[in-house]
Amino acid sequence: MKPKIKNKVRKKIVVNPKIVFWGITVFCVILIVVSYKFSDTFSSVKNVIGSVVAPMQKGINDLGDYFEDTLDHFSDMDALIEENKKLREQIDDLKNTNQILNQEKYELSNYRELYELDGLYDQYKKVAAKVISKDPNSYSGEFIIDKGEDDGILKDMNVLAGNGLVGIVTQTGSNWARVRTIIDDSSKVSGMFLKTSDTCIVTGDLELIDKGYINVSQISLNAQIYDNYEVVTSYISDKYLPGILIGYVSDIGVDPTKLTQQCRLTPVVDFEHIDAVLIITQLREQYDGISEVFKSDN
Amino acid sequence: MIIRTIVLILGSFILYVLQTGLFSSFSLAGVVPDLLMILVVSVGFMRGRTKAILTGLLCGFYIDCCYSTVMGVFPLFYVIVGNLAGFSNKIYDEEDHMTPLLLTAVGEFLYNIMYFVVFYLLQGKINLSFYLYRIMIPRVVYTVLVSIILYRIINFGNLFLVRFDKDA
Repeated sequence: MKPKIKNKVRKKIVVNPKIVFWGITVFCVILIVVSYKFSDTFSSVKNVIGSVVAPMQKGINDLGDYFEDTLDHFSDMDALIEENKKLREQIDDLKNTNQILNQEKYELSNYRELYELDGLYDQYKKVAAKVISKDPNSYSGEFIIDKGEDDGILKDMNVLAGNGLVGIVTQTGSNWARVRTIIDDSSKVSGMFLKTSDTCIVTGDLELIDKGYINVSQISLNAQIYDNYEVVTSYISDKYLPGILIGYVSDIGVDPTKLTQQCRLTPVVDFEHIDAVLIITQLREQYDGISEVFKSDN
Repeated sequence: MIIRTIVLILGSFILYVLQTGLFSSFSLAGVVPDLLMILVVSVGFMRGRTKAILTGLLCGFYIDCCYSTVMGVFPLFYVIVGNLAGFSNKIYDEEDHMTPLLLTAVGEFLYNIMYFVVFYLLQGKINLSFYLYRIMIPRVVYTVLVSIILYRIINFGNLFLVRFDKDA
């Protein structure tokens, strides 16, 4: 008689890895299709998980900043850093003042409307936020900030840093929000030359931003534009508030189709080192000033 | 089994938070190391295909939650790499620290190629050499460098859990 072997350990369920692999692959594909079709339902799930992760990322990020700072202290003299910081703040201030002065210089009768808008641009209510995490895939220009719906952040709000446009809020959770920068490949911003009012499309390009600029296209052939002209967000955009500075153009030329002009744009924002941003808590839809301007025009 | 699952979930979560938060302060040449990839490959090497596939699924979901409009793409990437890495379990040796580095490099490269195909090639961006030079290779190198340390930690954790299982 065979001795009875009693297996004390629970019998392990062994599944062929092949089946697991194909099962999960099919599951993922179905998920892709379903989440594409019903993105609204899935966003609530993401929100819940995001709001759990956000505070931790904030803490970790602070830790990272701390390490970075400590390293800085090792390599440079404290005083130097301090001075540098002060000078930078000063530069920012001066840039800002310079920007305002520059804009004032262009005071012409047909820009009076723009001036009214500029005033509004200063009066927009803004919320400051910290960048707490960046896209783990090094390809895209997206990041997450530590303010969310609780702080009044909504989808499609414009994001600034210093005095230039950074991007737009694409997704929000209770205490976090995702921002897509204007250098991201999927970003398209309707812009306008401040001096000539010619409209254009500013397209993000991660390939070109490596060299420090992004693309501007769809400029009318008749537009008389020159290097270092300023591009601001245009009136006709349905998501961006008008009159926000994007950058300065260079390399103007006719595009391959010979129907429009194209050029390159150097953004005013340093996207490599963004750590704090301002969010304008006013949506384009709520923005009535522009319609009044057009009414008065007609 | 339950302890293992909890350790894995917590561990991968910590790695995700580190990858998106802490390491963005330490980015070299504009890229961050893919810590989750190291985890998936290590699990494949140490525990086999099934475990690696499930780990990949988990890691992919973390990325999906915050950084993806469509869910399921990143899990798919990690699952494919995890599945392939799992084959190496046959030659697993706890003293072997070289093979996982090689596997990590291959896995990360594969992941980047898949990312390129899905998010760039299908959008008509065909400049592979740029992405290769600017993102893929730095990322692979950085990930491998980090995995020299991280693999030892993960391996240590694994051996500890194995001993823990035996004792119980």
